[in-house]
Amino acid sequence: MKLTSEKRGDVFVINLKGKIMGGPESTQFHDHLKEAIARGERKVVLDLGGVEWMNSSGLGVLISAFTTLRNAGGEMKLGRITEKIQSLLIITKLSTVFDTHDTAEDAVNSFQ
Amino acid sequence: MTTSSAPDFREIARHLTELGHLAEQTAQHLRKGQGDPQQLQLFLDVSREALKGAALLDLLREADRERQENETFLRIGMQLSSTLDIDELLQTIIESLRDVVDYDAAGIFLVNRETNQIEADFLIGYEKADRRKLREKFEEGVPIGAGLVGWVVQNGEAVVVPDVHGDSRYIPAREATRSEIAVPIISGDEMVGSLNLESDEVDGFTNEDLEPLRTFASLVAVTLDRAHFHREMIIKKRMEEELSVARRIQLSFLPTSMPRFTPYDLAGLNFPTLEVGGDYYDFIRITDGDIGVAIGDVAGKGIGAALLMASFRASLRLESQSNYAISTILQKVNRFLYETNPPEQFVTAFYGVIDRRNNILTYSNAGHNPPFIVRNNEAIPLDTGGLILGSFPYPEYEEARVNLQSGDILAFYTDGVTEARNADGEEFGTERLVERVRAYRELGAMDMVRRICRDVHHFQSDKFSQDDLTLSIVKCQ
Repeated sequence: MKLTSEKRGDVFVINLKGKIMGGPESTQFHDHLKEAIARGERKVVLDLGGVEWMNSSGLGVLISAFTTLRNAGGEMKLGRITEKIQSLLIITKLSTVFDTHDTAEDAVNSFQ
Repeated sequence: MTTSSAPDFREIARHLTELGHLAEQTAQHLRKGQGDPQQLQLFLDVSREALKGAALLDLLREADRERQENETFLRIGMQLSSTLDIDELLQTIIESLRDVVDYDAAGIFLVNRETNQIEADFLIGYEKADRRKLREKFEEGVPIGAGLVGWVVQNGEAVVVPDVHGDSRYIPAREATRSEIAVPIISGDEMVGSLNLESDEVDGFTNEDLEPLRTFASLVAVTLDRAHFHREMIIKKRMEEELSVARRIQLSFLPTSMPRFTPYDLAGLNFPTLEVGGDYYDFIRITDGDIGVAIGDVAGKGIGAALLMASFRASLRLESQSNYAISTILQKVNRFLYETNPPEQFVTAFYGVIDRRNNILTYSNAGHNPPFIVRNNEAIPLDTGGLILGSFPYPEYEEARVNLQSGDILAFYTDGVTEARNADGEEFGTERLVERVRAYRELGAMDMVRRICRDVHHFQSDKFSQDDLTLSIVKCQ
């Protein structure tokens, strides 16, 4: 898993790439998110366009991020989810919890 | 620098050389003054013997140094094979080095492969203040190429610096240091770090010191390799133990025999992978006329997943015995998992109850791959329900009732079945699973489960990591 991040207006966008499969790799992501929250970021978009593969532990990573942000009074939205992730979200019914959008742009705009 | 404890051959040789030169000068002096030929000869003999003695002593000095080195290496070698405490070993190596090349301070600096920075791993002869200073400098590590240490690692060459204040590469850390010598530490053909010695005197080291120092650097490399290997072995062993515990937990929770529940024919099989995932299936007898059917998949692998599965199973079995609605059972199980596990640890599960008197299946699906009923040309997905279990505090679970008909085949599975991939990366998929169920519809439930699992195994390529595989079948006769 590789990550980069950028600021778009008052929204913090994290781009995830590669395989999301939890484990020690996800520590980097969680640290990145926690630092952002500590800096005062509350509106976060995860751009999942570059994610090739995700297993159940990877879903756990998204759930954990969602919970961390919500507990901090913030909100997480998902942008550019692939067909595969979309079907995972539908099966697990996480689609009823996560706010998903076709593009990262849409996800950012939905905060306005 | 020779050591003070060893016999100082160099000093004796120097005296003898002086004596030889003195005798020669005296002889020349006598020759000019045309002195006594006998006296002259005597002086010439003395000078020759003295010079010979000096040369011999030089040879002896070399021999003694070699002997001392060999003894030291032998001693370290013995210690290497008897202890695996890396700090203790490095301490022994660095202290033994003093017998061969004297120093006031020494350090082992290693490249951190993750950060690609050089870190001070072992130091001797550093005062508290110097240590702090060094730690400040090396806290973030020093990039390869910076400082004398960095130069040695980058170039893979040794360096003798007679006066550190005259060398622009030098990064000062230890106040008293005046001269330094450093050799690369090489493991295989990889540059892993640098072994440094420092002296409080200018010209503390000579090129002669390089040879023994290189030998010590290779000892350090061997020590690090061994320690690394040992650490890996311990980790591997621990993981194997953990896996075997996890596997035992998992297996102990799966049905060992299939309950008789005529006119229904029930069967299930689980094939755990080497990594041990958290697949689960169960048949829970509730009353004479009702049987619970469960299948679940715990996020993650290893002992964590096995323990979560244990909690889930205990909670489900407990709640299912009370006369609750299925939606209530799932809510209670969810609440229990939510309170006892972090949100990223969740379970996807399907739970249903078959009432054989009225031929009704009542179920709710908590985020699990939908089981399906094969009826004639249809495959009816059982996807009514709610969120995965354990991640959120108060999800609602819808439940559904399905009238079962004679000839219906219910298939419950985990993603290990549908996501098994062939060499082209193609997934087995639900359509193929439905088609297999139809193809084997005349077989008994257990035979059908066996045949389908065999088909999945044939389909699956070793190229991809494999997940636990669980399938259970209920036939309505």
